Amino acid sequence: MLKSVLIVDDSPVARMIMKKCLPPDHGLTLYEASNGKEAIEKFLQFTPDLTFMDLTMPVMDGFEALAAIKEHDPQAIVIVATADIQEKVLRQVSEMGALHTIKKPPSKDRVSEALQMATSAMEGLKQA
Amino acid sequence: MNSVHEQLFAAEEKDILQEVMNIAFGQASAELAEVIDIFVVLSVPDIQILKGSDLPDYLCKELKPATTVNIIEQSFLGKFSGQALLIFPEGAEKELLHLFTQDQEFNCQDIDVDTLETETLLEVGNILIGACIGKIAELLNDVVAYDPPHITAKNLTLEGCDSPVPSESFAISIRTRFRFEQQNVEGYLFLIANQNSVDWLKKALMAFLESFE
Repeated sequence: MLKSVLIVDDSPVARMIMKKCLPPDHGLTLYEASNGKEAIEKFLQFTPDLTFMDLTMPVMDGFEALAAIKEHDPQAIVIVATADIQEKVLRQVSEMGALHTIKKPPSKDRVSEALQMATSAMEGLKQA
Repeated sequence: MNSVHEQLFAAEEKDILQEVMNIAFGQASAELAEVIDIFVVLSVPDIQILKGSDLPDYLCKELKPATTVNIIEQSFLGKFSGQALLIFPEGAEKELLHLFTQDQEFNCQDIDVDTLETETLLEVGNILIGACIGKIAELLNDVVAYDPPHITAKNLTLEGCDSPVPSESFAISIRTRFRFEQQNVEGYLFLIANQNSVDWLKKALMAFLESFE
């Protein structure tokens, strides 16, 4: 069962949209970060169960942040949220350990599906 | 610059516009990669509200005054209407032409290289502008028509040049730097929204956000 989610995006509107797409009764503790550097700091501080990660951000992009988070915790569950769904990008983030990629703008269905995937991944890790 | 911006857009509206551009440019780069089979890297779009007369100074600041550029312009017309300016440093046209011809033996005696380079700039402009504007329109539930792109300036030195848009108009400049990975070509895209689109744009931006309720 997911308890906490870190939403990483430089756009406050994108973070707001992501929150609006969460199920109304989600009961999750939410953390936010506005760039990759802040994402790493928040990840280390709160160890969220799931991180939604944008890719194109100032200061530090999502690729670097994903790499740093996975280096610190290879089991970390990171789902990339990006409008840039070039095949090379999808392949790259997948190879870097992202569980899934959702296309922006997110929808309630896509976010719900992502949460289910993250829950399954978490349960799988516990059983392993 | 801030006062011009504050007159036109509230902070929240600018934030929504920024996110719409992020999504549009991201999706556009994915579609471009499919069309021309190259990896396109886009920077975080930067939005500025400028007076038309301030645009040359802004371009000088962004691209260095001594830069010589080619500018491709394409008008778009819908509820969201205006001009898109695609700016490439001089020489990029050669790199771009190579991009289109690298996988094939190129042998076209009827067309000279200069014409081909110009046509390449126009075609890249058409694809890039169409993808970006089309995505913005789609996200905001609009449909736009386009005039054919044309070269509005060739080998133009930015320092001291005239504004490519009317001096008294307001320009919503949405600047993104993009790079074609294989060729290392960089360019800038500016969208100049007509002032009479602004009221519609403000409403459409709020409607976009409300669509997630």
